[in-house]
Amino acid sequence: MPSSSKPKAAFFDFACCEGCQLTVLQLEETLLDLLEHVDIVTWREVMTGESESYDVAFCEGSITRERDVERIKKIRETAGILVTLGSCAGIGCHNAVRNKWPVEELLQKVYGTEEVVSDAIPARPITAVVPVDYQVLGCPISLPEFVSVFKHVLTGRKYYPPNQPVCVECKLNDYLCVYEKGMICLGPVTRCGCNAICTSRGDACHGCRGLIENANLNAMVKVFTEMRKLHPIMDAVADRHRPTLEQIRRRFAVYNNWPELKLERGTTHGA
Amino acid sequence: MAPLKQVVSSEGLFDMLREAMKELPVIAPAERKDQPGFHHFARLQQAEDFVPDYVTTTLPPKKAFFQPSETLFTFTTDQPPALELVSDTEHFVLAGVHPCDLAGLDALDLAYSQPPAEVRWPADRGLATVVGIDCMPDDYCFCSSVGTCLTRQGCDLFLTKVDRGYLAEVYTPAGDTMLAKVRTWEPTEADIRDAEQWRERKVERMTAHLEADPAEIADLLEAGGLAHLWKETAERCYSCGSCNTTCPACFCFDMHDEFDLSLKTGIRRRTWDSCQLLEFALVAGRHNFRQEREQRVRHRWHRKFLYLYRRLGRAYCTGCGRCSRACTADINLVDVTNALIAHARKAADHA
Ligand code: SF4
Ligand code: SF4
Ligand code: SF4
Ligand code: SF4
Ligand code: SF4
Repeated sequence: MPSSSKPKAAFFDFACCEGCQLTVLQLEETLLDLLEHVDIVTWREVMTGESESYDVAFCEGSITRERDVERIKKIRETAGILVTLGSCAGIGCHNAVRNKWPVEELLQKVYGTEEVVSDAIPARPITAVVPVDYQVLGCPISLPEFVSVFKHVLTGRKYYPPNQPVCVECKLNDYLCVYEKGMICLGPVTRCGCNAICTSRGDACHGCRGLIENANLNAMVKVFTEMRKLHPIMDAVADRHRPTLEQIRRRFAVYNNWPELKLERGTTHGA
Repeated sequence: MAPLKQVVSSEGLFDMLREAMKELPVIAPAERKDQPGFHHFARLQQAEDFVPDYVTTTLPPKKAFFQPSETLFTFTTDQPPALELVSDTEHFVLAGVHPCDLAGLDALDLAYSQPPAEVRWPADRGLATVVGIDCMPDDYCFCSSVGTCLTRQGCDLFLTKVDRGYLAEVYTPAGDTMLAKVRTWEPTEADIRDAEQWRERKVERMTAHLEADPAEIADLLEAGGLAHLWKETAERCYSCGSCNTTCPACFCFDMHDEFDLSLKTGIRRRTWDSCQLLEFALVAGRHNFRQEREQRVRHRWHRKFLYLYRRLGRAYCTGCGRCSRACTADINLVDVTNALIAHARKAADHA
């Protein structure tokens, strides 16, 4: 590989489906434009060989074992800049669903009664283990946001993950709100940045990018658990499925498990 | 002066759009392809797609002039940077605009003409021929409470359903030219009466009403003492911004610079913004002067019914009901306003 003065980038994965890496590959020609600015030295899914030294580490996945903790710490020490890719790395995502049960109990359920030697620990995002410089959220990440973060990295600018709810992108695109069709959506409390991709196809938002700062979960609890008369549109939603507190909890639990979401009356998260 | 009136048949209305489409893009309410029964303002592919009796749309027609997200100019990183304005120059027809939305356009004309005046809005407004149309309210409409039911400002042509087609009121030469492309008739007394009855029926059918007129609402808000109501409303508000992003009278925006991958050129983009969003009032040093949700809720009402009413002489609400339809927390502008009117009046009586 020719030596150059370009920064060296490496991709690493932890517990996840590797969908975020795959998403990056979908950049196709744009990937070549990115390669004008960096040399990729390690990327298991894409190339052979790896390098001990790199400047920017892109890491996806959750930390689920003791040895992952050591590995991510080593990466953190080596890389000048650490970028997390995806919600597994950013907010724990599906991996953290299992934290509801003790690790021993889970090991037993999966491996039976045999003695298992395991260094499994409760699942957590990378952001909970080492300091992170940039985050791209999403399950999987959205490519335009990845490219935008990449440009921030190159120009040394701070990147703030969008802190507006998905409703903003949904409305700016003039999509029909799924509530109008009698569905319930987590968009009002979920971080945007995906350009409301799910609602663009008529599905509800399932909250994959995590909660916005100061999310008012209480509003959802109030609307659906208070038995007051609702206006026609909301009434049609409630009529179809007025969810219980437990059902609302479960909807959030698909992606939002770290830290554990305490969903009860009067809840506002992260003021 | 009373506008010239002509009658056009229902087919004639579609013919008129068909004729217009030969020369210009026509933006009008059409049914959503993915969701029958719901409408949006969209560029018509064929005149038949126009739905003259739609009830409402998610976004108001202001998006035809002020896009939700648009590029203002391109820049380079040279010293000094080379800037190039990006602007629309294409003329178009905007058809099927209800009186409340004409009032929305009028409200933005006024707001954006205040110094320092907007350059883009009036330029884009000048590109369109606007055809208004009268409507029937749903449970959320309350134009009769804010005096926008009969708005004709800013339209070139206005249509009201009558028995034998539409009564067309001609306001400008551009409207006249459009109408002249199709066969029309002199209105009879029956046509005039039909149109009047339509307007009466519209007001009769209105179920949502504000319990005070805008002047009184401004006074009540100014008197204050409504903190518990703001708090109560805030408890169920997501701060999702949908009440602003769907509002025909809201005009706030944000701007961002985006580089392309060369890192040598980029664009300045502006997007609609909302005062209900947490970071709307975030300034340098991470200071947020409306950090609390109830401050933001209060701001929305003050802005619509007090500050702008005092400064520009009109409420910045057209009664279209979009904010209440859009609110997934079931916060209804009419209910909240009436609750605070009731509370403020009671407080005044006890004083
Ligand atoms: S569909 Fe979901 S994200 Fe879109 S406006 Fe409705 S609640 Fe918000
Ligand atoms: S709409 Fe919601 S679930 Fe879908 S990608 Fe965006 S944040 Fe994730
Ligand atoms: S508010 Fe009035 S003008 Fe607007 S759509 Fe409803 S009835 Fe028509
Ligand atoms: S639409 Fe409703 S929930 Fe969203 S900011 Fe407005 S009032 Fe609050
Ligand atoms: S405040 Fe609500 S009812 Fe009034 S103009 Fe805006 S969206 Fe329409």
